[in-house]
Amino acid sequence: MKPFRIIKLSAFALILLTGLLLPSRLHAADVSVSAELSHPQISQGEMAELQIKVSGAQQADVPQQIQVNGLQIRLTGQSTQVQMVNFKVTSSVVYSYIVMPLRTGNFTIPGVTVMADGRQFRTAELSFSVDDSRMASNPPPPSSSQMALPPGIPMPGFQQQRARPVQQQPDEGKLVFGEIHCPKKTLYAGEMTPVEIRYYFDARYPVQVRGRVDFGCEGILVERFPDPKQTREDRDGITYNVLTFHSLLSAVKPGSLDVAPAKLDCEIEIPGGLPPGFDDPVFRQLMGGQPGISQSKQVTVKTSGLHLEVLPLPKEGRPESFAGAVGEFDIDSIVSNPHPAAGDPANLVVKIGGRGNFKGMGAPVLTQTEGWRSYPPNDKFDSSDELSYTGVKSFDFTLIAQQAQKESPGCEFSYFDPTTAKYVTLTSKPLPLVASPGGAPTVDSGTGATPSSPPPSNSTGQNSTKNVPAKEGEPLPGITLRSWTTPMQRSEFLIATLAMFVATAALAGMLAYWKIQSQGGTAASRRRKQIAELRSLLIGGSVDAGASYEAALEYTELVLPPSEKRDDLLSGLTARRDLLKYGSGASLPLPALEHRDLLESLNLTPSSPKAP
Amino acid sequence: MMKRPLLQLFFRLFLLTLSLDSIRAGLPEDFASANGKLSSGHADEVLSTYKTLLTYPEFKTLGSAEIWYNRGLAEMQTGDAVAASLSFRRALLLDPALLPARVELSKTLGALGIPVPNGWKERSMQSIHPETMIVGGAVIGWIGALALIVLLFQASRKKALIVLALTLIVVGHGTSLLGTMADPRRTARHQAVLTAKEAVTLRATPADSATESGKLDPGTLVNILSQNGAWWYVSTGTRSGALQGWIHSNTATSLLPSSKGSS
Repeated sequence: MKPFRIIKLSAFALILLTGLLLPSRLHAADVSVSAELSHPQISQGEMAELQIKVSGAQQADVPQQIQVNGLQIRLTGQSTQVQMVNFKVTSSVVYSYIVMPLRTGNFTIPGVTVMADGRQFRTAELSFSVDDSRMASNPPPPSSSQMALPPGIPMPGFQQQRARPVQQQPDEGKLVFGEIHCPKKTLYAGEMTPVEIRYYFDARYPVQVRGRVDFGCEGILVERFPDPKQTREDRDGITYNVLTFHSLLSAVKPGSLDVAPAKLDCEIEIPGGLPPGFDDPVFRQLMGGQPGISQSKQVTVKTSGLHLEVLPLPKEGRPESFAGAVGEFDIDSIVSNPHPAAGDPANLVVKIGGRGNFKGMGAPVLTQTEGWRSYPPNDKFDSSDELSYTGVKSFDFTLIAQQAQKESPGCEFSYFDPTTAKYVTLTSKPLPLVASPGGAPTVDSGTGATPSSPPPSNSTGQNSTKNVPAKEGEPLPGITLRSWTTPMQRSEFLIATLAMFVATAALAGMLAYWKIQSQGGTAASRRRKQIAELRSLLIGGSVDAGASYEAALEYTELVLPPSEKRDDLLSGLTARRDLLKYGSGASLPLPALEHRDLLESLNLTPSSPKAP
Repeated sequence: MMKRPLLQLFFRLFLLTLSLDSIRAGLPEDFASANGKLSSGHADEVLSTYKTLLTYPEFKTLGSAEIWYNRGLAEMQTGDAVAASLSFRRALLLDPALLPARVELSKTLGALGIPVPNGWKERSMQSIHPETMIVGGAVIGWIGALALIVLLFQASRKKALIVLALTLIVVGHGTSLLGTMADPRRTARHQAVLTAKEAVTLRATPADSATESGKLDPGTLVNILSQNGAWWYVSTGTRSGALQGWIHSNTATSLLPSSKGSS
């Protein structure tokens, strides 16, 4: 076997083996779940970060909110890490929650149930306290909270264009370096600010990036990095390939914060010298002109550190409806169904647009809710950039009228504007709609008059189109009976389906029959009919000689099977017809004798049996 | 003169066949008084009333989402969150669009520390009842089928109309199929809720002395894969890697009421 073929087969076998082993290694990984608070004790006005780390899984189901009286804990994001060390693949996912205190006191954050890899896990309870006194801001302990790159970023695969290695030894300081740009060095807790990390790689040396950007520290949240941009840039006469990462950074806890440099591991091929005794022109010639044996070098590219001053959100002037939004926003609202049927819910969609911490913001507060029952809204965020910094977040409130209504509730949304360092409250006015509770007649949309008589009691459920409780937690009136099985599991539905099959088939059959009838029946019946007509025409002798022979020809072709006798007969009839046609006797009646002979040649007599 | 009553009877039978008609049971006085007591905070008293109501003949083959919802409220007020979660799940099984039940189930599962199911099935069922999708889709699909038959036998075959009829068939029957797939009642026969007071131990074999293979919180919904006497082999999900094991049947309650009326 040729060596090249052996190498190819070995490579294929290796890839196959890796493909088979990797998933099993992933599945075989043990799943563990842990929860950790960035700060177990904070002052009011500050926020903490709760991280739930699921090791051994790439995806898990966690609650969006964690209910603790006096705290608002909302899921803000997740990051996934997949690592392969010595062919052992480990993956983990970290879910980050913002913990915002609503009052002072000692709290216990309950264990959180996490579904991962089809199994159920529960984290340990955590103690958390919020005090009123403004504590001195201690610098957070240095740690390396790694930000995982999203799948698809060509980091491990990023390979600088194969450059021709140069002979001279490079200056390592200029070979690779990183820079970090953060436009704001002073920001408020919860405020998001863009951050740009740039890594420069000398274009003359082949580079392969291995790993992820390692950036962050305790006390800050860094959004996941989208795909980096690759550009070229000249600096000090050297051409660099530049990888630029954009992300958003937000601080959780007020105080001075020193963020560690953003690191990136890579491997660079650096030209090395020749071994002693080989450094001569002859050996260089043998190596194809290569300056020496290149060597791979593991390098960690670092940016400079980042110092941030994080200010607390002011307590003064904080509106009641403030729920953690920091940025610049505007408000808009619409009623998606302004004329719901009696008892049906109306939907008020409040849209908060602008830029800021959309993930950490709470829902707007409804105002003028008298006579309405509302449910916690569903929210949806449509980002207009890849960092989710700008966009529109829609809160869809489901409202059920408890009395006849002509207007929806209003809405109030407060945020902190870091530019002016003030709280801003936005309001949206009630919108016109026509809604009424179940069982009650709708408000006259023309006059707006409500019925003078009270709505009939729906305690029996007879008048209710939708069962809604009068208040949250109140029992539902009325009874509606429903089956415990799906229609597909019920015999009546299957019988109805079968009946439809039969009806469709019957309709098809009926239409086919009508169509055949309208076309004069089937081909056989049409043939029989035609033979009978020709027979009666020929026997009757009421047509002229030319037409008689035409009919005789047609009759012969229809009745007699192909044979020599038939051919002879046809040629005889054709000759006679042509003679009559080109003579002058075609329009004359056929003489009686010739008529008789014609009938005899066709085996036709007035009493002859019908043709087949 | 006979035609109208016959027509009405036929129409009524047709609606019954398609199960579009919700039969109104005469509301027993007990139900109204139980609701009144529940509103005034006497949950202990009314719980037995709701349980008795569910043994009525009307509930042999059918169920009432409202009664299960109210029973869940009573159980919640008496502090039995696990039983309440089962009742709310049953209410949603009968009427997946019942918003109050969904809200209360979210609260109950939140109190138990269990993630609230919020997949595509739950979201789609909030706006449209699966029964409507299945029956409505089938009706549209069959209208399309009948229209196609008529169009195919017409002398002038209009392509646009034929395409429209084919679209009706695909969309209608597709919707019907989708509704069936999303209908939680389809798989409810093989599901159960853990109703033990403490975490339930999964075992490798159906025996108390068997090796433990995990623990599940009360209120968790499990799929019953097989049975062996009083033991159920359950799974926490359908994905590969889901936790599976044997549990004793007295630690869980079938999602469908055993007598289709009470549990």
